Amino acid sequence: MNPHLLTILIFLPLVAATAMFVVPAGKRNAYKYIALATGVLQLVLSGGMYYLFHPKGAGISQERLYQFVDHVPWIRLDMGNLGRLEIDYFIGVDGLSMPLLFLSALVMVIAIGASWNVQKSAKGYFVLLMILDMAVMGVFSALDFFLFYIFYELMLLPLYFLIGIWGGARREYAAIKFFLYTLFGSVFMLLIIVGLYFSVTNPETGAHTFNMLHMMDPANYVPGSFFSALAKQELFGIPARLLGFIVLFIAFAIKVPIVPLHTWLPDAHVEAPTPISIILAGILLKVGGYGILRICFSIFPDAAMQSAWWLGLIGVVSIIYGALVALAQRDLKRMIAYSSVSHMGFVLLGVASFTTEGTAGALFQMISHGFLSAALFFLVGMLYDRVHDRGIYHFRGLATLMPRYTVFVAIAFFASLGLPGFSAFIGEVFVIIGAFNAESANGLLPRWMAIAGSVGILLSAAYFLWTLQRMFFGQPRLKGGTVWSEALTDASPRETVIMVPMLVLALALGVYPALALDKINASVLALVELVTK
Amino acid sequence: MTSQLPDISERLDHIVSGLPALAPELVLIAAFVASILTGLFVDRLWRHATFTVALIGITLSAVCSSFQLAAPDADGVLFGMVATDVFSQYMRILIAIVGLLFACFVQASPDFGAHRKKTGDLYPILLAVQIGLNLMALASNWLLTFIAIEMVSIGSYLMVGYLAKDSRQTEAAMKYVLFGAVCSAVMLYGMSLLYGFTGNLDYTSAQHIQGLTGASPLLVTIALLFVFTGIGFKLTFVPFHFWTPDVYQGAPTPVTAFLSTAPKIAGIALLANILYAWPPDSFAYQHLRLLLVAAAAVTMLWGNLAALRQTDVKRMMAYSSIGHTGFLMMAVLAYSAQDHTILLYYLAVYSLMNMGVFMLTGYIESRTGAVDVRQYHGLGRAMPLALVCFTLIMISLTGIPPTSGFVAKLLVFTAVFHDWQTTGDIGMVVLLIVGALTTVISLFFYFKIPLHAFLKTAESPSEIKPLRHSILWLAVLLTVAVWLLGVFPDWLVG
Repeated sequence: MNPHLLTILIFLPLVAATAMFVVPAGKRNAYKYIALATGVLQLVLSGGMYYLFHPKGAGISQERLYQFVDHVPWIRLDMGNLGRLEIDYFIGVDGLSMPLLFLSALVMVIAIGASWNVQKSAKGYFVLLMILDMAVMGVFSALDFFLFYIFYELMLLPLYFLIGIWGGARREYAAIKFFLYTLFGSVFMLLIIVGLYFSVTNPETGAHTFNMLHMMDPANYVPGSFFSALAKQELFGIPARLLGFIVLFIAFAIKVPIVPLHTWLPDAHVEAPTPISIILAGILLKVGGYGILRICFSIFPDAAMQSAWWLGLIGVVSIIYGALVALAQRDLKRMIAYSSVSHMGFVLLGVASFTTEGTAGALFQMISHGFLSAALFFLVGMLYDRVHDRGIYHFRGLATLMPRYTVFVAIAFFASLGLPGFSAFIGEVFVIIGAFNAESANGLLPRWMAIAGSVGILLSAAYFLWTLQRMFFGQPRLKGGTVWSEALTDASPRETVIMVPMLVLALALGVYPALALDKINASVLALVELVTK
Repeated sequence: MTSQLPDISERLDHIVSGLPALAPELVLIAAFVASILTGLFVDRLWRHATFTVALIGITLSAVCSSFQLAAPDADGVLFGMVATDVFSQYMRILIAIVGLLFACFVQASPDFGAHRKKTGDLYPILLAVQIGLNLMALASNWLLTFIAIEMVSIGSYLMVGYLAKDSRQTEAAMKYVLFGAVCSAVMLYGMSLLYGFTGNLDYTSAQHIQGLTGASPLLVTIALLFVFTGIGFKLTFVPFHFWTPDVYQGAPTPVTAFLSTAPKIAGIALLANILYAWPPDSFAYQHLRLLLVAAAAVTMLWGNLAALRQTDVKRMMAYSSIGHTGFLMMAVLAYSAQDHTILLYYLAVYSLMNMGVFMLTGYIESRTGAVDVRQYHGLGRAMPLALVCFTLIMISLTGIPPTSGFVAKLLVFTAVFHDWQTTGDIGMVVLLIVGALTTVISLFFYFKIPLHAFLKTAESPSEIKPLRHSILWLAVLLTVAVWLLGVFPDWLVG
């Protein structure tokens, strides 16, 4: 086994992007085939890694329990009395990141498949897509905070251009709004990183470090430093550690997104081209959840416990509010965007419970939502490609016009609303069990939050089924008349090939959740123990 | 004669013994004289003669400075008027690099080539300004500081008005001269007050510091304010920035590039020298620090907020450079005398980015005539390489990884945080927060360039004139450097 497998996985897209630069602009088709080849190769690679991944590799705060580790010194800057700047190229995977890496590779392939008909400057499009791909893989693997931040920010640039150039009518507004929201969160995150850097030393060398794993161990904090738990420093009357937690949480919560920081999401989703919506919902939102678990909780466990009630409340508000707003939408893509807000609320509720069930459920929900939302956005894209309209009230009786498409939509809707037998059910049930047990296990969350979460499932059933009824059943009646009914052809073989694996995966994980739970279990246990000890 | 000047031979010996430390300036003086001569006589035969002389002169001066890096500090050169430490050597090298870039930029700029005055007279001015800039970075005496600043100013006035193509350029030059003259006068007045309090013009001397401590706090504050009017004028921090947008917009693009970079480097060096000559517990230092913290915060906010409303690219970049001045001041405040890595890195990166941006602005302007971002529509397709580089530099200016602009910002944040931890000065926290906030604000206007160039399409394809690509390739080189130094900052600092 190649020891640098993970590095290859991350930088493969960069090689592809360089290759695309060399290919002359006249060969339009070459780009998408290079991209597809890269995507498939990554999927095979990450699939292989998933298979090789040892379920006992808990990771979290111990480097020796990480797998596929690459750890080499990168930047060593001597800065006089500020000491030596120690930045490592440090990557590795554990149970938190392994499923998300596989998910990212899968969603990327779907996104590339969905970009098959991109005509407008294909070269730029696929080059940007590859850079985005690299950044995403890097974010899920980085274990050095500096490296993490670089990949995290690097995601923004290609997305800005992908939304801004290839997007819909209000694309410029959506692109800059998305960028500003995320940058706002991450710039302040940078300040916390600097603070952590000065508070933590590497026990081996004694130098300050950006190593996340060192930041998780209270023994590595310099006595009296800003973020040291014993020093109890304050800034503007807020304890420093709580402040650090809040700032990092907001940075990631913008990505998740939580209510009320979610307003960039409907705009970005609606204006983005279909493949980018798929990536946004399938991968980018998971970065937020992953960041909360990997960074906020692991580095500031005390502050996280202290804020549990608020986190739970934010989760519940996101679930209910997202679902209610989704119910009121007249645009199919907007409805799905708000359903994402609602479903990601479960992730927050799950992690806020600080129980093994809740955390595992949250992680499972992220994975499940990853490909289900990708599937949903892909389905919307299929409709939009044909008639360039997404209004829910502009369609009726699609089932008779597009039977195969309707089957796909029905399965995806049922899977998303949490029907037993599909993956979303497992995730949501685990989250609710976790939230319900929290009162007796650690007393952090009141029971009504779990009940409110179940109301969210009910609401999601309402908006999904109602939409199904409005658009697909009854006599065919279309806003565009016969022109539309001719344009609305059933799912093509390419679209079928993309859809089937996702729906099969949703079913497989729903019927046999151990496929994922086995790999994440050890890490979840280690994380919960780290946080609650 | 000997009775009137009993120690004249000793004094002469002292001056001569100090000259090797000033070798870079001597080289520049020689090049200055040579360039005037070539401008008069040789340019007719070979039109690149003056350019070549200037290039050689600046390069040689940089080489001289780099030799002095290894040598120990020369003490008390010219009766202590000049302090040559490692920091000022690096400053000289950096200023020389900017001067070289400027010379190449001018040479490639069609505006200068087509003008009837040609460039023969510009290079001697450049060399003279270089001398002034070097002295600004070296001076440890108020009087020498004044002379250096004036030398730079007078040269800059000439540069701004060099082409005087239309009334706007003439207006810019005129404004610059008037504001400059007033600021210099005020600064000189402030210096005279300081001299009155202390009886000494060497601001590093103990006598000077004692004198300041002894004088009335109100008067010292007023005197310092006056002095900093002059320095602020060169550095363009708020509230002495008001001349910048008009002058930057009106001046020929290469000159704008130079003015927004080189005098700032020298000014920051001067500021650092003054600030760290005084002991931290002295009253004057604490007062000055308070003033500078406030000025830095306001400068960052004002520069970035005002840039939001601009649509003229050069004007927008003028405000952006004001914003960066605020950031640099923050770096100076957090910098400590033994350790100049962070400040140097920021200055070097800023110079590269700024020169790169203006080169691209100039290139795009000469090819399409576009000066307003709204005229950039669709240029991303027409001139992909130039606009991609432009965008890449904008990313770095905003401070987004993995660029050197990001590393520079991170290092400054690091230094400021450390300073706050050791001194407990709450002003540093304010600076940190303002610095972070303005980074977000700056994204908005820096990304106007890619927004208009790539996201919007032109109603009518703009006419593109042919032009030699030399300047574009230079800008590409700078872009690559800006990105590589972001991924491998050790290459610069090591």
